Amino acid sequence: MSKIKVIPCSGIGKVFGLLARESVLMVTEEKCPSDTETLCLAHVVTGDDEVVAKIKGETCITMDGCAKYCARKSVEETGGIVVKSHKVPDFMKAHRGEEHGTGTALTDDGWKYAEELAEILAEDVKEIKAGVN
Amino acid sequence: MITNKIGVISCSGEECLGGTISRLAVRKMMEELKPGMVSTLCLPLFIAGDGGEREFAEKYPTIAVDGCSKCCAKRAIEKYSNKVAGSVDVAEIIGEVKALEKPLSTRNVTDEHMEYVNKTAAKTCEIFDDILIKSI
Repeated sequence: MSKIKVIPCSGIGKVFGLLARESVLMVTEEKCPSDTETLCLAHVVTGDDEVVAKIKGETCITMDGCAKYCARKSVEETGGIVVKSHKVPDFMKAHRGEEHGTGTALTDDGWKYAEELAEILAEDVKEIKAGVN
Repeated sequence: MITNKIGVISCSGEECLGGTISRLAVRKMMEELKPGMVSTLCLPLFIAGDGGEREFAEKYPTIAVDGCSKCCAKRAIEKYSNKVAGSVDVAEIIGEVKALEKPLSTRNVTDEHMEYVNKTAAKTCEIFDDILIKSI
């Protein structure tokens, strides 16, 4: 099985995009580096042959910053198989009232939330690897 | 004057250092160098085409800030909206090898990385100011 592709939206306007980006980097660089990798969403959306070859038919997880689901939609349109799709605000309930930072930098609470999101993604990876979808 | 009507789109690429530099440079413009004067557009949303971003880039000058020489942001703007008013390639500023180094979390940003951010933001500001002068 090739590496699972974990792809965030990296939206630039609000903190949600940065939370998505940082949580994915935690997974691909620290928590599950041998089982996962990320791809540039900006490259995915170009539809270049090179990136289509990397993603078409591959198992993907997406983490979006908002309900427009740009990462999920773009990955699906490029032929990736999105087996798990999340958006950052879905897990906000336990974090109401916290300040998570901006699109530039996360606060301590922001980093804790990113860590929580990364754990959710890492669990997804474990499930997929175990064949439980 | 077209203040506040100049768009800047970064690739924010996730696969390499250049993507993080492009993102931080655009955020620096928004927050420090040109506060209130920059309209930042989300590249994925721009390409999805349902957020009004494409219409903005058709109507107003837009600058692409790309992390590597694939220039995904520039190509996307020109494919879906209009010719870019200017473009910045981080790889031309910091070197292709450096730009293609592994992706960087914002918690690991060093003084050296901030120097790259500052250079990229300065280059983007030059283009921004040229557009602004021509609009007067």
